[in-house]
Amino acid sequence: MITRPMTSAVLVATAAAASAAAGPLQVSSSILVEARSAAADGTTRVTLVKPTKVTPGDKVIFVLAYRNSGAQPLANVVLDNPLPRQIAYRSANPGSPAPDVSVDGKTYGSLATLRVRSPDGSTRAASPNDVTSVRWRLASPLAAGSQGQFAFQAVLK
Amino acid sequence: MTPIGTPAGTPIVNTAGLRYDADGAAQSTSSNTVTIIVAERLDVALVRDGQGAIVVTAQPVAIPFTLTNLDNGAEAFTLAASVSPGMATLRTLVIDTDGDGRYDPAKDVAPVDGKTPLLSPGQSIKLLAILVATPEGGATNAVLTVTARSTTGSGATGNVYPSAGDGGGDAVVGPTGALATVSVPLGTALAGPVLLKSQSVRAADGSQTAVRDAVITYTLEARFTDAVTGARIADPIPVGTVFVPGSLSLDGAPLSDGADDDAGRFDPSTAQGAGVTVALGRVAAGSSHTVQFKAKIQ
Repeated sequence: MITRPMTSAVLVATAAAASAAAGPLQVSSSILVEARSAAADGTTRVTLVKPTKVTPGDKVIFVLAYRNSGAQPLANVVLDNPLPRQIAYRSANPGSPAPDVSVDGKTYGSLATLRVRSPDGSTRAASPNDVTSVRWRLASPLAAGSQGQFAFQAVLK
Repeated sequence: MTPIGTPAGTPIVNTAGLRYDADGAAQSTSSNTVTIIVAERLDVALVRDGQGAIVVTAQPVAIPFTLTNLDNGAEAFTLAASVSPGMATLRTLVIDTDGDGRYDPAKDVAPVDGKTPLLSPGQSIKLLAILVATPEGGATNAVLTVTARSTTGSGATGNVYPSAGDGGGDAVVGPTGALATVSVPLGTALAGPVLLKSQSVRAADGSQTAVRDAVITYTLEARFTDAVTGARIADPIPVGTVFVPGSLSLDGAPLSDGADDDAGRFDPSTAQGAGVTVALGRVAAGSSHTVQFKAKIQ
């Protein structure tokens, strides 16, 4: 079923992808949802599809697909994704490297290493709901023509 | 209560930033921007303010309800009210404009076309069902049923109404089915449980003569107007009779005589002599339960 929001999302994506085509590092951002279907062997197959009806509490998967379309390797590649404020971080998507996360947009690390300061000055351990931004660094240069993707799970508040 | 969440129609906009070094120079750019529109989740709650059976008399009585829009969008609700045939008649179902729980005919009017105005996400309004006793309506208890249904759509959770949501997204039926129903038991007398006892006699010759060895079947019907917990029926075996083993039942299902894990038992030595006890536990408002047992005349 094609609906208006999905169509407009595709149009936006196409327009933006064209404008981003200038650099050698191409990153395509998408927001997907899990679709479950019964496979012939009786197992449940989970695929990621474009959402048509995300409501509060639904799980969504943010996918960043990257590719070096240039002729030279690219060093020190960093992708960072500030979360839309209606989105609560949950975890790395299975199969994706875990991102470093931040609760203040400045300090990044694993969630377990982060603390949140309360108005009264005390601090507490950070929870996934505190995450405001996620970031991945590529440990080695990205060779010309190579590609990959990162993905994380989140919930619509 | 479930949080209402992000309003329907809100665009969720995501762009990733990227940095890299090419030819020794730091570069930065951004990904495409992807946008999804939050769909409208259709949900509603309707609760009665107060509990217990309502006593209906010739004077109109107002029964208050609270309707809450649990939708993440603005929504109107179709209201309906009905009374099962019996001693009460529904005059009208109105919106309690000032929310004071009292019926003011000048201000509290029935919703146009049976629909509420649009309610914002999380907004509640008060409703009043106005009832009077039916003349010559008898004493049969009646039940008032009030329903509220999302006008955009309702039904099975997950049903989709394409492009019907606020902001142009889809509308999706939420966990409540976008339909809420409340039933209120009505009575003509003061509320409280009632125990009705009756008996029938059957003698060996098939007659209903209370002679030696004739068997008396006792029927105890407990009627509850309110929901209660810890309800228990106890009845001594009448003097001059003996309990017929294995004859105890609750709502037609046999209960063993022993003090075991079913609800009933026969106790040959209570403070009032031999007797039967049946623990009903938690009972629903407007329900009735029937205990039967047999005793033989000595």
